[in-house]
Amino acid sequence: MNDRIKLARQIAWLAAGFAAVMAVLLIANYIQTRINDPIDNKTIPALVKRLSAAPEDETIKEEIRAFDLMARKAYFTSQWQLRTGSYLMFLGLIVSILAVRYILSEKSKLNEIDRLKEAGELDKLIAQKWVMYVGAGLILLASVSGFLSYNALDSYTVDESTSGDSQKTVGQEPPPEIQQAALMTDTTTARQTPAVGDPVQLPAKDTTQVKAVAVPALPSKNQLRANFPYFRGAEGTGIAYQKNVPEEWNGSAGTNILWKVKIPKPGFSTPIIWGNQLFVTGADAQSRVVYCYDRRNGKLIWEADADSIEGSPATAPKVTSDTGLAAPTMATDGRAVFAIFATGDLLALDMNGKRLWGRNLGIPDNHYGHSSSLIIFKDKLLVQFDTNRAGKLIGIDSQTGKTAWETQRSSKISWSSPILITNGTRTELILTSNPTVAAYNPQTGKELWSLACLSGEVGPSAGFGEGLVFAANEYAKLVAIKPGDTPEIVWEADEFLPEVSSPLAVNGLLYIATSYGAFACYDAKTGAKLWSEEFGDSFYSSPVYVEGKVYLTDTSGKTRIIKATRDYQPVGTVELGEKSVCSPIFMDGRAYLRGMNNLYCIGTK
Amino acid sequence: MRIVKKIFFLMLLAFSTLQGFALEAQQRFPKPEFANGYEQPATTAPSPRALLLEYLDLFVLLAALSLVTWLVVKKRSRKGVFWTSVFSLLYFGFYREGCICSIGSIQNIVLGMVDSSYTIPLTALVFFLLPLAFSLFFGRTFCAGVCPLGAIQDLVILKPIELPKWLQKVLGLIPYLYLGLAVLFVATKSEFIICRYDPFVGFFRFEAPFHMLMLGLLFLAAGIFVARPYCRFFCPYGVLLGWMSKFSSRHMTITPAACIQCKLCANSCPFGAINEPVVETGKRLKNVNRLIAYFVLLPLWMAFGGWAGSMMHVPLSQYNKTVYLSEQLIAHPELKNDQKNIDIRTFLTSGKTTEQLFAEARDIRHQFYIGGWLLGGFMGLVIGTSLIRLSTFRRREDWEPDKTNCLSCARCMDYCPVKKEGVIEGGT
Repeated sequence: MNDRIKLARQIAWLAAGFAAVMAVLLIANYIQTRINDPIDNKTIPALVKRLSAAPEDETIKEEIRAFDLMARKAYFTSQWQLRTGSYLMFLGLIVSILAVRYILSEKSKLNEIDRLKEAGELDKLIAQKWVMYVGAGLILLASVSGFLSYNALDSYTVDESTSGDSQKTVGQEPPPEIQQAALMTDTTTARQTPAVGDPVQLPAKDTTQVKAVAVPALPSKNQLRANFPYFRGAEGTGIAYQKNVPEEWNGSAGTNILWKVKIPKPGFSTPIIWGNQLFVTGADAQSRVVYCYDRRNGKLIWEADADSIEGSPATAPKVTSDTGLAAPTMATDGRAVFAIFATGDLLALDMNGKRLWGRNLGIPDNHYGHSSSLIIFKDKLLVQFDTNRAGKLIGIDSQTGKTAWETQRSSKISWSSPILITNGTRTELILTSNPTVAAYNPQTGKELWSLACLSGEVGPSAGFGEGLVFAANEYAKLVAIKPGDTPEIVWEADEFLPEVSSPLAVNGLLYIATSYGAFACYDAKTGAKLWSEEFGDSFYSSPVYVEGKVYLTDTSGKTRIIKATRDYQPVGTVELGEKSVCSPIFMDGRAYLRGMNNLYCIGTK
Repeated sequence: MRIVKKIFFLMLLAFSTLQGFALEAQQRFPKPEFANGYEQPATTAPSPRALLLEYLDLFVLLAALSLVTWLVVKKRSRKGVFWTSVFSLLYFGFYREGCICSIGSIQNIVLGMVDSSYTIPLTALVFFLLPLAFSLFFGRTFCAGVCPLGAIQDLVILKPIELPKWLQKVLGLIPYLYLGLAVLFVATKSEFIICRYDPFVGFFRFEAPFHMLMLGLLFLAAGIFVARPYCRFFCPYGVLLGWMSKFSSRHMTITPAACIQCKLCANSCPFGAINEPVVETGKRLKNVNRLIAYFVLLPLWMAFGGWAGSMMHVPLSQYNKTVYLSEQLIAHPELKNDQKNIDIRTFLTSGKTTEQLFAEARDIRHQFYIGGWLLGGFMGLVIGTSLIRLSTFRRREDWEPDKTNCLSCARCMDYCPVKKEGVIEGGT
C-alpha cells in the first residue's frame, strides 16, 4: 500500500511540475507574442510605403512577400505552440489531480472537510448583518456609478436641440445692416421685414479692386468648358477641357510652383475658375468667407463674408473636423458666384464680390456637416439639401435667390453632389443617395427616374460616360445604370468601392479611387476590371481627366498621373508637399490645387 | 490502480479525439497587401450540426439525467454518480465543447421571449427544461452528474474547507445578480454574458483568451479548497434549479432509515448543504419582531434596489455594441474613417446612417433604464427574502440536505453508516 502511495505521490509531483513548466512556457509565449505580434508587423507597412513611391520595384515586392511569409510562419507557429502547450499542461494537471485523489482514497476512506465551529443562532445573526451590509453596499455602488457615468447620447441630443431651438438667429433681431438695407432697396424688398427663407439683398462688404470678367447672358457650353465653373468641371463629371497641363511639380522644393498663398480660413472645398478669377471658400466658427484670387498671380482680389443672413445660426452647427463648415465647392456661371456653407447659408455674389442675395436654407441637420456642392443649369442654381430630417433638391433662381421649385426626396441623408448629364435630347441632373440614384429635370425639378441600388452613407457623386451613369459607395456596390424612364443596371461590381471619391468615366474606362488607397480601372461598358493598383494613402479627392491623362491626388498630397488607357501606364507621381483632399483643376496650361493650408498654382516657370 | 489507468486511457482518448476535431485554418491573418496572383479562397461557413446529432445530444442528456437520478435516489451510489459525471465531462465538455449547455440555454429562452423573430432551438429548449423538470421531482441531480462545469470542478475538490455561514450567504447573492444581468443583457439584445464569461469553456475547446484561461485556472485552483465555487457562487442556472429543487418531493435522503446523529454526513459535504438539527434559541418575541421588521423592509429593499439599478443604466448599456459604437463616434467622429475598426465597418456595411445608429442606441439605453429598475428590484427582493429566511425558525430533528443548495452528489450517502433499514455499516 505504501509503495503505491509513494508512486502516486511521485507521479503527482512530476505531473504537477510538468504542468507548471508548461504554464511558464505558455505565459512566456503569450508575452513574446504580445511584444512582437506577427500580425502587427511594422516592417511590412514601411515596405509598402516604399513600394507606393516606386510601384514597379520588384525587389521591394519580393521583400514584402518574404516578410509576409515570415510573419505568417511566426504567427502559426505561435498558435501551434499555444495549442500544444495547452494540451500538455492540461494533461499534466489531470494526471496530478488523479494521483492526488488516489492518494487520498488510499490513505483514508473519509475525506472530511475542515469544519468550522458551529455558533447556531449567532451565525445567522452575523449572516443577516453581512447580507444587509452587502445589500446596502451594492445600492451605494450602483448609485455612485450612475452618478459618475456620463450619458454622451443624451448630451448629444441636448446639444442638437439646443442649437435648433435656442440659437439666436439673425431673424429674431435684425442687425442694423439688414434694417438699413431694407430701407435702401426697392419697395418690394423694403416694405416688410424679411421672412426666413427669403433672400435678403445686401450691399457687398468689399466692392473695391474689382477686375471681373462678367458675361451678361447665360454662358454657352463652350464657355463653361473653357473655364472650371463647378465641382469636377463643367458638367460635374470630372472632365476638364484644357490643354498643356503640367506633369511635373514639387510643392516642397518649389518646382513649377508659380505661386502659393495661404488661404486664411480652413475648408475642403475645391476652387473654381472663371476667366482670371479663382474662387474658394473658407470658414471657421467665427465667420464664413468667399475668397476671390487673381489666378495669374495669386493676389487676393476680394473677399466677402457670408454674414448678416436671415435665419443664419448665431453659433455654427456641430460638424466633424474632416468635413468642416466649408466643404461644398462653389459654382459660377460667369455672371455671379454662389457659395453654400454648413450653416445652410447660401450666398450669391457678383463677379466683383458684391452680394446679390443671401439666404439661409435652414440649418442642415447633418452629423458630419453639409458638403454637397452647387451646380448651375441655365438660370437655376441647384442645391442638394439632404439632411437627417428630410431630403430635397432645390432649384433657385440664380438672379433673385428665390426658390423656383423644391422637390422632396425620399432618400436618406447623403453628401454627394449633383452632376449634369445629357441623355438623348434632355439634360438630367443626377443625384446619388441611400438607396436611390435619381435623375431630375434641372429646369423643373421633376423626378425623371430613380433606382434603388445603394446603401450606407453615400458620399461619392455619380459619374457619367458611354451613355451610362455610374454610382458607387463603400460597403455597398458599384453600379452602371442605363438611364431612362425605366432605368436598368447594366453591370455591377463590389471589389473596389469609394468612400468619398467620385467615379470618373472617360474614353470607355471607369476609374474608382478608394479611401484605402486602391485605384482601379474598369471597362465602362462591361464592368470588366482592367487593372488595379494599391498606392497606400487614402483617396478622398476625385480623379480628373484632362488631355488624355487622369490626375488623382491622395490625402498625403501626392498626385498620380496616369495615361487614360486600358492598361496601366503611369506618367508620374508629383508631390504637393502638404496634405490635400481636393482635386486639381486646370486653366490655361496651369493646375491649381488646394492643400490643407495653401492654394498652389502649378505651371511651367 | 486500475481505476487510474482507466481514467488515464479515457483522457488520452479524449485528447486524441479532440485533436482530430481541431480546426487548424483560421481567418485571422490579414489578406496580402498587394496583388501577387494569389487567389484568395472563398470563405466557407461550417455546416450546421446534423439534426441526428442534435437528437443524440438530447438523448444523452435524458439518459444521463435518468441514470444519475436513479443512481442518487435508488442506488445511492456515489461511485456511479462520479463516473457519470466523468462521462458528462467528456461528452458535454470536451466532445461537445461546452455547447450546448443548460446554463447558457437561459439566454436562448429569454431571447425567444423578447424577440419574436427568434425561434428557440429545440435542443436549447430541452436543455433548459429537462434539468428543471428533474429538479422539481428529484433535486439537483443535473448538478451531480450531468453538468460538465460541475464535473470539472468536482474533480479538483481535494482539500475542502467550510466557509463561514455569513460568507456563504453573501457569496450566494452573486448567482442572482448574474442571472439578472444575463437576462437584462439578452433582453436588450446586447450580449450572451453567460457564454462569454464561461470560465471553463476555454479548457473544453483548448482555445480561449488568455484572461479567460487564467480565470478558469483560478476557479479550479480555488476549487481545491472551496468546493465547486462556480456552481455555488456564480451559476445563474443553479438559481433556477434551486427554486425547483426546493419543492422536490423525491429528493435524496441522507440515510435510508433513521438517522443515528453521527454527523458524518455533515463532515463529508464540501458544499455546506446539510442542515443540522435545530431548536429555537434566543428570545421568541425578539425573533418575531425582527422577522416583522424584515417583512416591512422588503418593499424598501426593492424600491431602493430598483432605483439603484436604474442608475446603472448608463454604465451597463455601454456593454451594448450599438451604444458603445455611438458613444465612440460622438467622442471621436474621425473613427468613422478607421478602416481597421471592425465595428465601424460592420456599421457602414449595414447601410444605416449615423443618426439612425444614435437613435437605436438611445432606445437601447432606455431599455437598460427599465431593465435596471427590474434588475435592482429583483436584487432587492433577493436580499430582503434572504434576511427573512435567515430570521425564520424551523424545527429540525435530523441532519437533512438543504434542498435548495444540495447538489445531490451522494457523498453524504456514501459516508452514512446506515446502509439500509436497521443495518449500520460496521455495526451489528
